[in-house]
Amino acid sequence: MTGVPSRENVGTAAVSSYPRRLPERRVALLLVTPTLVILFILSIYPLIWAGMMAFRVENLFNPAAGKWIGFRNFDFLLTKDQTFWKTMWLTGLWCTATVSIQLLLGYMLAVLLDSTMRGIGLLRTLIVIPVFISPVAMGLTWRFMYEPISGIINYLITSAGFARYTWHTMPESSLISLMITDIWQWTPFVTLILLAGMQGISTEVVEAARLDRVRGWTYTRRIVLPLIWPVVTVVVLLRLVDAIRVFDLAWVITRGGPGTSSLLASVNMYSQFQAGRLGIMAAYGFLLLIAINIVVVSFLRVLYRQEKETRRAAPAAA
Amino acid sequence: MPRTPLRKALDVLAVFVVAIYLAPLYWITLTSIKPTKLINQKVPVWSFEPTWEHYFEAFGRFKFGHGLLNSLIIVVTATTITMLLAVFCSYALARMKLRGADTLSLVILSLRFLPGMVIILPYFMMFQRTGLMDTHIGMIIIYVGFGLPFAVWLLRSFFLDLPREIEEAARLDGLSWMAVIWRIILPISLPGIAVTAIFTFVFDWNELLFAMYLTQSHAVTAQIQVFKMVDLYNVLWGTISSAVIMQLIPVVIVVFLLQRHMIRGLALGAVK
Repeated sequence: MTGVPSRENVGTAAVSSYPRRLPERRVALLLVTPTLVILFILSIYPLIWAGMMAFRVENLFNPAAGKWIGFRNFDFLLTKDQTFWKTMWLTGLWCTATVSIQLLLGYMLAVLLDSTMRGIGLLRTLIVIPVFISPVAMGLTWRFMYEPISGIINYLITSAGFARYTWHTMPESSLISLMITDIWQWTPFVTLILLAGMQGISTEVVEAARLDRVRGWTYTRRIVLPLIWPVVTVVVLLRLVDAIRVFDLAWVITRGGPGTSSLLASVNMYSQFQAGRLGIMAAYGFLLLIAINIVVVSFLRVLYRQEKETRRAAPAAA
Repeated sequence: MPRTPLRKALDVLAVFVVAIYLAPLYWITLTSIKPTKLINQKVPVWSFEPTWEHYFEAFGRFKFGHGLLNSLIIVVTATTITMLLAVFCSYALARMKLRGADTLSLVILSLRFLPGMVIILPYFMMFQRTGLMDTHIGMIIIYVGFGLPFAVWLLRSFFLDLPREIEEAARLDGLSWMAVIWRIILPISLPGIAVTAIFTFVFDWNELLFAMYLTQSHAVTAQIQVFKMVDLYNVLWGTISSAVIMQLIPVVIVVFLLQRHMIRGLALGAVK
């Protein structure tokens, strides 16, 4: 690093030779301000607004009826509303099931695609297409395949000798149908990121393990998993945050139904909106946000620590 | 890595798995060119005379061109504005002397995890009061706010990777900050900017929730139109699948454009 002037030196040199120039801090502030203003208006301010509505009676169809009621919305949700705990349970179940299965299948798929064969790049590109498909397109495609009579899935099942299944149209199977679609869409995402982690394992390590005859499950558990662990954390937390707030896919396929059998948190909020109960909806959102916060804060801490480490490692490498 | 027999077997399996994985997409594509009377059969029909009738119907009866055009106008404009703002903001956050830059970056990132359902209510009320409801401008504003946190964070990760020496030399030569960004940073980080823009485009293009609340007919997006086809005409799977395919085309092109940069964008810059 010797010979290259430090940032401070550059700054003072520039300022002293060009006295008309704005100081660096001022320029930086000017550059970030537009973005910060927009984000304040479009995220922070609505957030505060929504937070305040959680403590009010607000009716979509009768705006004049609004008034402050303290914690009564929360009290209603937590103690009186029968669907609240059901939606929380369904959302928890949803997050646990989809994320863990995606992780498992994603890892298996990553092992499968961690190859040096010709055309492997094309396979990796193809498999990731579902991740980029809109939830509307994805949901409709699966709804078409889930159709009770003419759907291709039931055709395949019956021709394999099993009985027809009800999929998205019956309470006992609607959530499972949603899960299958979500797993199908997001497993490649997990795969791709785990693959990046696996390919970051140095060839020396792989060679040493091979010479020591470490293979199979021991190799996976003792060598691969510890080395890709940081990547696994990132994947799990990214998936968890998306899973908690999922709306589009559930809305397109089942709309939370039949009944409340697949009423995930965000879908429930939408049905509160349709019923005009804006205060309740806001209070529900408040509680959902707390749940997400717990996940996000832990995510940011992990991510931030990793970034700091790589940044510290970068000058040493250069 | 030596190619063991096991690896060879796994490779064959990999090809099969990928083929099966894409079967739903193949099926929906096939449906979009299948004559209507063959679609809702108990036994799937695999060979038939292909037809474009569903595509014509999507454009004719359902005015799908309207939604596609709206989406294109809204998303392209929003992406452009997002990128303009994000480039300067993330450069300042990554490279310049700014108190609390790291904390600020984290706050911006955390906004990316805000559930749309939580802030939609104030949007809805703001739009009703200001007359932005169902307008292109309204949707553009919303999508700029929606895309910014991601774009800033990802671009920042690209800027952090650039070698400092070039900028420092340029600064020593007396270039102003704006000149450094325009003439030095932009050209060398063009791939990173392109990747960020493409991701922003896809996220905006696929967005459903905000468009559902904030558009009705004039500014209706392609996603909403596709979705509404099911609402009203539950059995028209041919037309629906043709619309699904059409809104999918830009996205598939994008996937092939991104290739090896995909991981970084998907993992918010945390994995390279």
